[in-house]
Amino acid sequence: MLQLKQIQEVLLCGVILLIFSASAQAMTAREIMEKVDGRDDGDNLTANVEMVLIDKKNNRRVRKMKILNKDKGKDTWKLQFFVSPADVKDTGFLTYDYYEGGRDDDQWLYLPDLRKTKRIASSDKSGAFMGSDFSYADMTKRVLDEWTYKILKESEVKGHKVWLIEALPVSKEVEDRYGFSKSVIFIRQDIFMGVRAVHWLKEGKKIKYQEMLGFEQIDGIWVSTESRMKTTKNKVTLHKTVMKWSDIKYNQAIDDEMFTVRRLEKGI
Amino acid sequence: MKQQLLKNICIFSFILFLFHFAAPLSAQDLDDILSSGFDTELSEPAAKDTSNDIDELLSGFDDVSDERQEKDATASSTLPEWLEVTGSLGLAGSYNFTHDAPKEDDVDFRGISMLRTTASLSSEIHWGDWQAKISGHGFYDAAYAIQGREQYTNTLLDLYEQELELDDFYLQGSLSSKLDIKIGRQVVVWGKSDNVRVTDILNPLDNRLPGMVDIKNRRLPVAMTKLDYYIGDWNLSGIMIHEVRFDKNPVYNSDFYPGQQPLPPEQKPDHSLANQQYALALNGIFSGWDLSLYGAWIFDGRAHITTDVNDSLYRKHSRVFMTGMTANLAFGNWLLKGEGAWFDGLEFANLEDEDFSRLDLMGGIEYLGFSETALSLEIVNRHLVDFDEQLTLSPDIAQENTIQTVAKLIRDFANDTIQLKILLSLFGAHGEDGMFERVQLDYDLNDAVTLTGGIIFYQSGNQGALSAIEDNDRIFFEFSYDF
Repeated sequence: MLQLKQIQEVLLCGVILLIFSASAQAMTAREIMEKVDGRDDGDNLTANVEMVLIDKKNNRRVRKMKILNKDKGKDTWKLQFFVSPADVKDTGFLTYDYYEGGRDDDQWLYLPDLRKTKRIASSDKSGAFMGSDFSYADMTKRVLDEWTYKILKESEVKGHKVWLIEALPVSKEVEDRYGFSKSVIFIRQDIFMGVRAVHWLKEGKKIKYQEMLGFEQIDGIWVSTESRMKTTKNKVTLHKTVMKWSDIKYNQAIDDEMFTVRRLEKGI
Repeated sequence: MKQQLLKNICIFSFILFLFHFAAPLSAQDLDDILSSGFDTELSEPAAKDTSNDIDELLSGFDDVSDERQEKDATASSTLPEWLEVTGSLGLAGSYNFTHDAPKEDDVDFRGISMLRTTASLSSEIHWGDWQAKISGHGFYDAAYAIQGREQYTNTLLDLYEQELELDDFYLQGSLSSKLDIKIGRQVVVWGKSDNVRVTDILNPLDNRLPGMVDIKNRRLPVAMTKLDYYIGDWNLSGIMIHEVRFDKNPVYNSDFYPGQQPLPPEQKPDHSLANQQYALALNGIFSGWDLSLYGAWIFDGRAHITTDVNDSLYRKHSRVFMTGMTANLAFGNWLLKGEGAWFDGLEFANLEDEDFSRLDLMGGIEYLGFSETALSLEIVNRHLVDFDEQLTLSPDIAQENTIQTVAKLIRDFANDTIQLKILLSLFGAHGEDGMFERVQLDYDLNDAVTLTGGIIFYQSGNQGALSAIEDNDRIFFEFSYDF
């Protein structure tokens, strides 16, 4: 009787072990990316951003910006103002970034020289953001369903376990819009955040390397305060950009009025 | 037996656990994934061991991380946060390479046509939701001294050799959560077009160097009071224009002046209460499209020649009434632009007792689908209603339909350090009223210094303002330092 009970216990142990192993293993690439997508990345953000553009000869140009983001459901409203250098100072960029992939973002650019706000019609997010190595796609949250995911392997980055997840666009239209034919994203297993990524550009046989640094918990939210991107071709670095974030504040009471053409023209 | 069964179950469970845990990391699977993954962009090293490729991927981050310790290269400002001072210094030059040798006593326009040192200064004060701005610019053009000042009239030298002007000078703020005010010398841009003017009529232009300067740098600020009321997606803008200011056009004795004699003197309306100008705009901004409706009662920027009580000729600006509408429609990488304006009260020298109306219609398209490239095309037709052939005669030289087409390409290279700009502007359906083509290259040497170089070609029209421009082909350069 006792032996039978022992058998039952061992079987139960085995089943639990199987269930545990199955649940650990059932974490598919898609599920990991759902966790990444669903992670609390904060609402209503204000921050200062410094962007350093570095060319092949190590010449540097520095752009400083103030940014405000407001989450509207899955959509994001963004307001960016350039503070320096002098030739782009007070240039403002307002975006209603719609999460729904098929819907074009609403974008307006205020050029102080022109004293005019111009509507920008561009569904193509592959263009460079203000001459940097970051594209508009890099600055936007990707639509989960527009990519298929596959775990390549597990590894470690700076002592943290990561999954290497390959992301492929589901269609040619998505590939054209983002400008990537493939990405490999390094997801930190403890906090479900991307720490590195490699992007294959659809044109020019170029590869971009992205690295997130300076991880901090701000207002309870894990944030990377520095992001670096370099563009390479045939393993030669063509250009690099370092984007540093400071004075990051989440959950700010930002009025909707801040995300209007009126505010774009008045400045902040 | 039972002990053996227990043992077997445990071993089986453990193996099952290991198998499930280890399955996705199997070397064979990983190789397959890696092989298929590198087939696309990394087709060149297809024969290589793919496990090396993933290692190369990982090592690609090394020198990115090396940048971690770099210092902030920017200098911090010593000014208080509420005060901003910016400005620029520049040197601009042009060389005219096609002009014929002058006839006796004519001006020699060959060679250096500009060698201008420029300076501009702007200061802004911010407090709360209010701000004030004052800016101005000045230049001295040494080309006239080099070419010989005695060739030129005093009027020309006054307008072209040097200049010192107040530009923006205004106070701006919010009177309530929905009401803004901006009072002072300012620029107000109406319309959606970037290269032609249909409803953009509130500020005069500096036309002294046609084709050489984009519209954005040619608008002249005017003193006005502007009230904006905002409700939802709409904005109602009421404007009272206090200052009467007209375009700066090429003067007699200058390279772009078409006639052989100076124009009669211009009579500028006084700065009086009776000569205030009024404008009203209703703007709606929506997802994917915009709409604006305009109305204005202003002085016509184009003067007509008439006589005073002493039968002396002078140029007069009549009052005109304009109603207009503009719309934008964005879809994908395309932006469609449309503008229409109806002018009443236009006067001409040859039919002085009559008033004329004009309908201006503009269609434009902009495409941003090519990498780092903006393409635009704008076509406008100005149709004089109830046209009379007498208007074709001098001094009016008007046409029933005046067509203008502007095509522009802007492309950025090398992470926005180089910008190529190609502009083609045609007057008349096929350029028969004149045309010019400009190719310009801007190079940002660093954050503060920009070098510009380019070439412009002119073709004269059969008549009108552009009938004597073809000898002005020139190369140009500019060095500017922004601070």
